[in-house]
This record gives sequence, C-alpha cells and structure tokens, in this order.
Amino acid sequence: MKPPHQAAAARGFRFAATAAVCLLYALPFAVLLLLAVSGPAGPSLRLRNFAEAARASRMGRAVFNSALIAVCSVSLLLAAASMAAYVIARFPTRPVRIFFALLLGSMMIPGIVNTVPLYAMLVGLRGINTYWAMIVVCATNALPFAVFLYAGFVKAVPREIEEAATIDGCSPFAAFRRVVFPTLAPVTASVLILNGIGIWNNYGQAVFFLQARDMKTAPLAVSMFFQQYGARWNLVAAAAVIALAPAVLVFLACQASFVKGISAGAVKG
Amino acid sequence: MTAKRANIAKTPYPMLVPAALLFGMFFAYPLLRGIGLSLTDWDGIGTARFVGLDNFLEFFGDRRALRDVSNTVLFALGSAPGLVLAGLALALLIDRPSRFFRAARTVIYLPAIASPLVMGYVWYFLLQPGRGLIARAGRSAFGPSFAFDWLSGDSSALVLLVAVNVWQYAGMTMVIFLAGLQAVPQEMYEAARLDGAGAWTCFRKITLPFLIPSMKVNVVTNIIGSLSVFDVVMGLTEGGPGYATETLSIYIMRKCFGSFTGYSTAVAVVLFLIILVPTAVYLRAVRSSEFER
Repeated sequence: MKPPHQAAAARGFRFAATAAVCLLYALPFAVLLLLAVSGPAGPSLRLRNFAEAARASRMGRAVFNSALIAVCSVSLLLAAASMAAYVIARFPTRPVRIFFALLLGSMMIPGIVNTVPLYAMLVGLRGINTYWAMIVVCATNALPFAVFLYAGFVKAVPREIEEAATIDGCSPFAAFRRVVFPTLAPVTASVLILNGIGIWNNYGQAVFFLQARDMKTAPLAVSMFFQQYGARWNLVAAAAVIALAPAVLVFLACQASFVKGISAGAVKG
Repeated sequence: MTAKRANIAKTPYPMLVPAALLFGMFFAYPLLRGIGLSLTDWDGIGTARFVGLDNFLEFFGDRRALRDVSNTVLFALGSAPGLVLAGLALALLIDRPSRFFRAARTVIYLPAIASPLVMGYVWYFLLQPGRGLIARAGRSAFGPSFAFDWLSGDSSALVLLVAVNVWQYAGMTMVIFLAGLQAVPQEMYEAARLDGAGAWTCFRKITLPFLIPSMKVNVVTNIIGSLSVFDVVMGLTEGGPGYATETLSIYIMRKCFGSFTGYSTAVAVVLFLIILVPTAVYLRAVRSSEFER
C-alpha cells in the first residue's frame, strides 16, 4: 500500500497531465475560432466573416451536397448492411459464409487502392459529378464494418422472438423488419452516426468523383476556397468552422452511441 | 436431413442482394479491373494497350516514385507506433470514473471526428514558417530573429505530418483501448496488490494481456490507415516542399489526373502490397502467440 501523500501526489499528477493534454487538444480549435472572427489586421469580433466566407466559398450549396450524400448513403448502408448481417447471423450456409469472409477481408484494402479503377468505371457509367455515384461509393466503403457490427448484435438477439413471428406466418424478411430490426436500434444509431460523420468528412473519394463546382462537398469547398483565398486566413477559417460544425455538433449530441459503436467493434475484433 | 434441407430452402438470399450488389459492383469488380488495367498503358480516354509489367518497371525506375515509397513507409513507421503508444498512454491516464476524465475523453476524441483535411489547414495556420501563429508568437516573445521553419524542411515537414496525424487520431486508439480496459476485473488488481505486486507488475501481468484484442484492432487499423494517408497531407503540406512529403496515395491521384490511368493503377497495386505485407505478418505473429498460450 502506498502512503497517502504519495497517492495524493499520483492523483495530482494525473489531473495535471490530463489538463495539459486537453489544452493541447483544445488549442487548435480555439485558434481556429479566434481566426474565424478576426479582422484582416488581427483579433476582433467580426461575425460577418461567416456570411462573407459562406458566400465566397459557396458553402451553402456544399453543405447541402454533403448532407444529401451523407443522408442517402447512410440510409442505403443501414438497409443493405442490416439485412445482410441478418442472413449472415441466422443462415450461415456456405455461400453466405464465403460472402462474409470476403467482406471482412476487404476491410484490409483502403479506399485509395480501388479509387482509380472505380473512377475509370464511373467515367464509363457517366457517374462523375453525380450524387448517385458518390452515394453508392460511400455506402460500399462503409459496408464491411457495418455488416460486421450488425452481425455481432444479431447473434446476441434470442432466436425465440423471431421464431414466434415465423410461426405466426411471417416471412423471414417480415420477421426481420418487424421483430429483429427494432431490437438493433443501438447498433443502427452507432452505424448512422459513425458513418454519417465519416461520409460528411470524405475527401479521398470526393476529390475524384465530384469535380464540378456545383457538386462540391463541404471539405472540397474549404479546399477550393483555401486555394483561392489562401492569404485571407480569417475567411478560410470561417469557412472551415462552417464545414466542421455539423460533424462536431452531431458528435457532441450523440457521443454515447458513437463511442459504443467503436468499442463494440473493437472488443469483438 | 429433411430439417437441414428445409433450412436451406428458407435462406432469404434476396435480403443479401443489396449488399452483394454494392460489394460486387463498386468494390470487387473495380478491384479486379484495376489489376488488369495496371498491365496496360491506358490514358483514361483512348484504347488500352497491354504492356505487361512495364508500368511496374517504370515505377521502380522513377526517383519520385521511390521517394514516395520511402515517405509513405517513414510516415507509417512514425505514425502507427505513435498512435498506438499515445492512445495507450492516454487511455491509462484518463481511465478514471469521474466527470473531469469523461470530459477529457470527449476533448481528446474531438479531432478524430473532424475532417482531417480541414484540420490540416488549421495546423498550417499554426505551423506556417512566416505568417504562422507559432512563428508570430515566437517573434513577439523572443524578438524578430526567431524562426520556426520546420514546414519548409524536407524531413522536419514529415515529422510535423506524423505529429499532426498522431494528434488527430490518438483519441480513436484511446477509445478502443478504454473499451479493452473495461474488461479487466478490478478484483485481480486488489488480489495482486495483496500479494505485493507493484504498479508495473500489475500493468504487465494483468492489464496488458486483457488489452490484446484492442491492441490487435489498433495495430492493424493504424498500419493500414498510416500507409494510405491522404487527407492530412493534402491539408498540411500538399506533398511539399517539392515532393518531400508526397505519399503514394497522393502520387496515385496526381498520376490519375495526369492521364496516366494504367500507371496509377499499377502504383495502387504496389501500395496494396506494401499494406498487405506488414498487416499479414502482424496478424500471423499474433495468431501464433495466441496458440502458444
């Protein structure tokens, strides 16, 4: 056992070290906010920076594009992943198991490896500068991990409740939709928030597939604005704040299910 | 037998169709096609001509490409272990049940959900040699001769990229380690302490073994993530100065937009192999150590 003064010193050190780390983490965000309201000459409180930056960077359109792509992608992802995970967890026939193994294996291949052939394919399909192409690409990128998360949770749902539904004449799909899917709400929340934010921030694919001015997403708009207005840091910072804000706010509001999703994936991995 | 057959007949394969279509059309098919394209001289518009391994020979004869390989590998050698160690240290530091430490978790995790491209710009505002806020603060504190020009040096720029990437994603590895720490039964610490075990022995004999699953996830995801890094580099250095911090992923994009489509898919194949080898070696090592126990 440690003497009490030593334990108090250890506790003090823990608090001090944590506070120092937090400072290191909060500082860049504080600097960004400060820059975003600064005048050209230095610190002030110019809220009109936001309006000016939004207009010049066409951020309104970009936020709309990002939101549309994130919402559609995540909806597609939730439907495809939860149904696939249900089949994988409940009907592990050989072809189903092979499909699951391929999905899990594909998690080892980062998006950039596949992006050029995908780009070539989408040029042929006239998918460049369209919402649908970005939506399906983002949903596909997120699919393996979402299926993996869902499958783990479906296995934990007792079979009895859906067997009762099947005996009452429900098809497997109806049993899934009415009985199993509602019990998966916590995973659904995790997948939704994790991937919603991930797709909102997507840059690696967006830079290839969304080149037209009207199709730019929030990160692309900041990037283009930075190239053009690079010298006016206060306006670039204001645009950056607008692009970051939705993801940060959603994260702060839904932190619990966010962390739960990541942890669940980690512990089972 | 009959029961089994009934079960197979009931397998609702149509429910697998959306996932299988997405995966087949937008992952598996382009992946295989990419391997095919890597053997051609396709420019993205005209007809593709089969050129065998010419793209790969060109790659390994190109100084810029080889420099990108070393940039990518050096970045990962700093970033992947840095993220695992920083995440572990942070998890051990804040694994305490109080409001203060929960708030700290949120603050440390925050950059991991922010766009890495945009955070790259934020760090550029801080680190830029002339106008950067660190350089300016230094000048007003230490006089006009103060200089902070790490971003304009070849290797120091790479070091800054590693540091910014570790800063950005340490919260992610930390949260995964925190989940692993939840699995450690607290009674084991008490029993060990009664037996006279010190803090280091407790950590090595109790904490670390329970962290093996989360360690596995963190090592694998950070090897893959660091070797395919793109956004942070585009935000902070755009591969500069010159090509000093250009990574393979950026090279792939630039070659693709430069109408060297076939060649850029060959580079993607090389990157894939560079990622596959350490990942496979690590997973194999973990598996064999699991068998030993």
